[in-house]
Amino acid sequence: MESIVIIGNGAAGLAAIKSFRKYDPKTPITVISKEGGAAYSRVLLPYVLRGKLTYDKLFIPYAEKFKELGVEYIESEVLSLDDKNNFISLSDGRQLAYDKLLIASGSRALLPPVEGIDQPGVHNMWTIKDLDALTEEFKTKKEAIVVGSGFVSLQAAWAARSHGIRVNIVEIADRIMPLVLDIRGSTIMTEQMAKLGVDVHTSAVTERVEKAPDGRFSLVLKDKGTISADFIIVGAGVRANIEFLKDSGVVFNRTVPVDDHMRTNVADIYAAGDAAAGPSAFGDEHVTHALWPTAVEMGTIAGANMAGENTSYSGSLNMNVTEMFGVTVASMGKFNDSDIDNYYVYGDETGKGYCKLCYKNDLIVGICLIGTPETVGMMGKIRPIIRRRLAVDCPPAKLDAFLSLRFFER
Amino acid sequence: MKVITIDPTKCVGCRNCELACAFINSKTTCERKASMIRVNHYIDEHAVILMTCLHCDDPWCMAVCPAGAIVRDPDTNAVVIDQDKCAGCKMCMLACPYGNIHFDEERHVSTKCTLCGGRPRCVGHCISGALNFEEVEEYAAKTRSKVDEQMSRRMRMKCRPTEVSDND
Amino acid sequence: MTEKCIDTTCRMCGTLCGITAHIENNKVTEIEGNPRHIFNKGRICIKGSSAATWLNLPDRLRKPLKRNASGNFEEIDLNQAMDEIAEKLLKLQQEYGANSIGIWKGEGIDFEQQENLARRFAHAVGTPNYFSNDTQCYASRHIAFYLVYGCWPLADYANASLILNWGTNAPVSHSHWMQAINEGREKGAKLVVVDTRYTEIARQADIYIQIRPGTDGALGWGIIHDMIERDIIDHKFVDNFTVGYDKVVEYAKSFTHEKVAEITGVQPETMIQVVNEIAAARPRLASWPGCGLEHQINGVNNIRTMTIIDALAGATDREGGMRIPIGFGFPDITLYEDKPLMESGPIGADAFPVLYDMRHECHTGLLMDQILSGKPYPFKGLIMTAANPVLTNANSQKVKRALSSLELLVVKDLFMTETARLANYVIPAASYLEREEIFTNGARRAAFITGKYLDYGLQTEYQFIKGLAERMGAGSYFPWEDDHELTEWLLKPTGHTAAELHTAPGGYIFGDNPCNKHWQKLASGDKRFFDTPTGKVEFFSEYLESKHIPGIEGLPKYHAPYQIAEPDPEYPYLLSTGARKQKFFHGRYHNIPQLYKAEPHGHLEMHPDDAKKLGVANGDTVRVTSRIGSFETFVQIMHPKEIFKGSMQHTHGFADENVNNITYDDVHDPISGFPALKSVQVRVEKI
Repeated sequence: MESIVIIGNGAAGLAAIKSFRKYDPKTPITVISKEGGAAYSRVLLPYVLRGKLTYDKLFIPYAEKFKELGVEYIESEVLSLDDKNNFISLSDGRQLAYDKLLIASGSRALLPPVEGIDQPGVHNMWTIKDLDALTEEFKTKKEAIVVGSGFVSLQAAWAARSHGIRVNIVEIADRIMPLVLDIRGSTIMTEQMAKLGVDVHTSAVTERVEKAPDGRFSLVLKDKGTISADFIIVGAGVRANIEFLKDSGVVFNRTVPVDDHMRTNVADIYAAGDAAAGPSAFGDEHVTHALWPTAVEMGTIAGANMAGENTSYSGSLNMNVTEMFGVTVASMGKFNDSDIDNYYVYGDETGKGYCKLCYKNDLIVGICLIGTPETVGMMGKIRPIIRRRLAVDCPPAKLDAFLSLRFFER
Repeated sequence: MKVITIDPTKCVGCRNCELACAFINSKTTCERKASMIRVNHYIDEHAVILMTCLHCDDPWCMAVCPAGAIVRDPDTNAVVIDQDKCAGCKMCMLACPYGNIHFDEERHVSTKCTLCGGRPRCVGHCISGALNFEEVEEYAAKTRSKVDEQMSRRMRMKCRPTEVSDND
Repeated sequence: MTEKCIDTTCRMCGTLCGITAHIENNKVTEIEGNPRHIFNKGRICIKGSSAATWLNLPDRLRKPLKRNASGNFEEIDLNQAMDEIAEKLLKLQQEYGANSIGIWKGEGIDFEQQENLARRFAHAVGTPNYFSNDTQCYASRHIAFYLVYGCWPLADYANASLILNWGTNAPVSHSHWMQAINEGREKGAKLVVVDTRYTEIARQADIYIQIRPGTDGALGWGIIHDMIERDIIDHKFVDNFTVGYDKVVEYAKSFTHEKVAEITGVQPETMIQVVNEIAAARPRLASWPGCGLEHQINGVNNIRTMTIIDALAGATDREGGMRIPIGFGFPDITLYEDKPLMESGPIGADAFPVLYDMRHECHTGLLMDQILSGKPYPFKGLIMTAANPVLTNANSQKVKRALSSLELLVVKDLFMTETARLANYVIPAASYLEREEIFTNGARRAAFITGKYLDYGLQTEYQFIKGLAERMGAGSYFPWEDDHELTEWLLKPTGHTAAELHTAPGGYIFGDNPCNKHWQKLASGDKRFFDTPTGKVEFFSEYLESKHIPGIEGLPKYHAPYQIAEPDPEYPYLLSTGARKQKFFHGRYHNIPQLYKAEPHGHLEMHPDDAKKLGVANGDTVRVTSRIGSFETFVQIMHPKEIFKGSMQHTHGFADENVNNITYDDVHDPISGFPALKSVQVRVEKI
C-alpha cells in the first residue's frame, strides 16, 4: 500500500491511527482536518469552560507522537471524492490519492431554523472556537439561555451556572434529556437543577430571537411568553460533515451506513464515528451514536481492517456519563419505558442515588443513573453483560455481588 | 515484569490491603473510600472476592479516555492516571469491566491502582497470602504444580488404606 | 544521614511478626514486613506499618510527670521521680506491710523476659503481688493446657490435614498464623471454625459452626462421644501416655446427639461431619482455642475438653498436629526459688488457688475490691507498666474508683492513657524499637532478638525496675548494667551470644525440635513423658481434684454457663465483649489518626431480628445496661448468619463507647478466676 488517508482528526481518526499502526508501522498516513490545529477532545470542552481543566489540557497528548510515526497533517477541507479513481479534492486546490480512505469527519453543531438565531451572541458548544467565544461571554455577562437540553447543552448550562450566571433552559420536548434519561430521571434532574438556580422550560418552541440595540436578547416562545438573556447557547442537533460525498458513489443519508467491518458500499472506503452509522449492540444494522467511546471503538475497528486485519464490531452500546449540578449523570443502553418491559430501582439504603436497572425479555438492556460516582463503576461491570446479551440469573439487588463472584470462577 | 496475582481462596476479608492502600494514597486516612483495592465478602455465598486493577495489556480505560490522561508507567508496566490531566468525566469508570476505577470526590478526578511505583502495599499487608507480587511465569508455574499436587492427592485418596499407621 | 533498614520484631501486638524498619536521623519513616522472618515472611498488618506514625506522634510522652496539689501534671526530672517513688513505696511498706504494694505488667510489654523482670521485682522488694493482663487473656488456656499436657502445645497448621479453630480469629488476632493455615489448606487441609460469630476466619471455613455461647465444652464432649463410639481413637497413644481414659469413656456416654444438639444448637449432621473429618485427617489434627473460650465461666474445662480431642486423635507432638515445645536453656530470672513469698498472702491466691499455684498470678479483679475495702489487708501502692485497666478491665468504674484511692499509682507508658490520668507519676516508656530483648517460639526453637535502634533517652522496662529496686535496697537482684548485659547473661547457658542472634533477627534456630519425643522417652526406658504430676497426659487431673474447688472435679465435666442456667428476664440479651479488631489492640492505637478515621466509634453488633424487636436501625444510638452499669453506643446490624440470635457483641477499647462500664467483675471461672467477659446479661434501649 502506498497511502492511507483519514478525513478528520477527532476520536475516530485518532483511534484508527493507533489501531492501524499496531499492524502496519510503515504505510504513510495523511490526516485531513478542516478545523486544523492540534487534536483535542470535544468531551473536555465543558470541563475547560467550567474551569475544572486548564486550556492546555484540551489537547490529546499521544496525538503529538503520531507525527513521529509517519503521519502527515493537512489543514484543509475535502470538497469532493472521486471513488472511481481513488482521490479526494481539497479546498487548497490539491488532489490526494489514497489506497484506503477513512471518512471520520465527524459532525458539526446546527442552529435550528428559527428567525434571528444566526447572529453574534448566539453560540454553539461544539468546537474550540465556541469554547473561546463562550469563555469571553462568561467574563462579563450575567444571564444566559440554553436552547436544548441534551448532554452537551446541560453541561454548558452547568458551566455557566458555576460562573454565577443565571441560566434558563428551553426544551422543545416535554422533559429534559429525553435521549439520555428516563421520565423519572428527567424529573429528578429538573428538581436538582432548580435547587441550584437553573429554571427549565419544557414543551417550549422558540418562534424567534430578537436582539435589542444594547445587545440584550429576547427569546420569544410560542404561547409561553419571552425570556431574556445576555447571550444564548444552542445545543439543538448536529449534522454529519459528509457534503463532499454528494457526487460520489458512496451511499449516504444523514450519515454513512457501514457494515460490522466499518466498510461503506465502496471497496477500500471506510467510515467511523459521528459521520457513520454502524451496528448497535442491540442488533440494529445502522445506528449513529455520536459518542466518544463509540467513535473510539469504530475507529479502532476501521484502522485494524484497513491494515489488512479482519475484525468485526460487536456493535455500539450507547453510554454517557458526566458530572453536573452536583450529581453524576450516566446512562447506558435502553432505559426508556417504551424500550423495556421490566426494571428495578435500587433502594435509598444502597446509597447509589437514583439508579434504574432495565430489562427486556429477561435480559439486562440498560441502566440510568443520577447519583454517586462509585455507581458508575458498577455500570462498567454491567456493560459487558448488556453487550453480550448474557442472561443473568440473580435478583437485581444482588447483581454487583453476582458479577464480582463470577470474576474468579473457573 | 511483576504483576499482582490474586488467590481468593486464601482471602478472609481482613481488609489490611484496603487500609494500607487508602493510607499510601491519601497519606491521611485508612478509610475504605480512599482505597483502590476492594474486598467484599458475600455471606450467603460464603465467598470473599477481592479485586484490584489488573493493569491489562490492552486497557479499555486507556483507549476511551478523552483526555489521554491514562498512560503506562514504563518502570512498572502499571496503567496510571495522570490526575493533572483528568477532567473527572468518568468514562474510564464506565469502560472498566471490573469496576476497578474509583473516584476521588474531593479532587473530582478518577483514581486507580498505580502498583505503588513497584512496591504494592496491598501485597505487603496481605497477611493471609492471597495477594502476591510476582512474575507471570512464577504464578503460572505455581498454579501448575498446585494442580499437579491436587490431582495426585485425589489419586492417593482413592487408593488410601482405611487404617491409620503409626508412622503417618 | 542516610536511611538504614533494620530487621527486628514488631511489638504492636503479641504475634511478634518480623519487620524491617526504615530509620533515618533517629526516626522511623516506614515499617514493612521482614521477608527473612521465618513466620510472617515479609507480610505485615496495618498496625505494624502504622507504628511508623504511632512512634512519632507529637503527644508521645517525653518527660516524666508528677501530679501536683491542684491535680495537674508537671514535668519532673526522671531521677527525682524515681527517688520519690521508691521512697514512697518503702514508706507504704513500713506503714501498711510489705504486701501493700505491687507491680502490674500490661499487654503492651511482652511475656517471658519482660514479664519475669516484673515478677522478679515484686519478690525482690518483698511483695508477692504481681499482676498482669494474663488474668483476662491467656492464663485460662495456660492452666487448661498445663493441666492436660504440662505445657502448651502449638498447632502445626502448615502440615495439618484438619484445622479446628474454637472462638479464635487468626487473621485479626494472630495475623501470620493465617499464612500457615493457608499453607495447610493449600496442601488439602480442611478448616472447621466454631464461633458464635461468623468472623474473618469463618469466611474460609469448610465447616462453620455457629454455637450457642458458652457451650463449646458440650460440643467437645459430643465429638469425644462419637470418636469413642466409632473407635476413632489412637489407642497406642492413649494406653501408653495418658491417664483417665476410662473416666472419659464413662462421662462421654451421656453426650448423645440429641443432648448435644439441645445444649449447643449444633445439629447432629454437622457434628458427624466434623467427626468424619477427624477420622480422615488424624493424626494430623491441629487445633486452637481463642480467648472466646476463656471468657466464660466454664472456660478452663471447655478448653481441656477441646484439647483432649487432639490427644485422642493421636495428634500430640506429631507433624501436622500439636507440637510440644522444647526449652532453650534460659535461666529463670524469677525469684520463686530464691525468695518465695507464695505463702505470704498474695491477692487472690485463696480465692483462685489454681491460678496462683500454676501461674503465680494475683487476681486483678479482687485487687480492686481489696483496695477499696482494705480487706484482708490494705493495698496502697501500685507500679503499672504497659497497661490501661481503666479502659480494658472488667467494671471500669470500679477500677477507676480503686486506682484513684491508692496512695501511690505510677504508670509507665508511651502515651497518656485513661489510667495514667489517675496516676501520681507518669513515666515515659521506651518502645520496642528502643530496647534490646529476646522473644522465642518453643515449637520451632527459634529466638528473635531486637535492639535499641532508636534513642530518645527514654527509660526501658529494665532500667525502670532496676532503678526502683536499687533505691529500695534490692539492687543486688538486678546486677546487670543494662538490657544488653541482661540479654547476654540470659543467653550464656545456651551457648549462644547476642551477636549470633543478631545475625538472624528473623529467627535464630537453636536446634531441632523432633516429633514424637514421648515415644523416644518410652523407648529409652523413661517413665515420665510429659511435665505433669503423673508424667502422662492427664484427662483426669488428680491435682485439680485435690483442690476441692466447689463444682470442679478432676475430669473436665461440662457445666452450663450461668446465663443458660439462670436467664434473667430483666436482662434478656447476652452480650459478648472483646472481639479483636484489625486496627487496634485492646485500648491502643485509637490515637493513630488514619486508623481512628477509619473506625472512630465502637458498635453494638446485633442480629437483624433483634434489631427489629428493639426498633433500631444501623447507626442508631442505644443504651446498654447490665446490673453493673450502663453505657451508650451505636448499633451495627449484622447479616442474619453473622451472629447468634439473642446475643450481641461489643469490642472493648473505645473510650467513648466503653463496654467495660457494664462487664461483670464478679462472675468468674472458678479455676482460672477469669471474668465472664463473653456472657454479660444486658438490656438494650433505643435513645
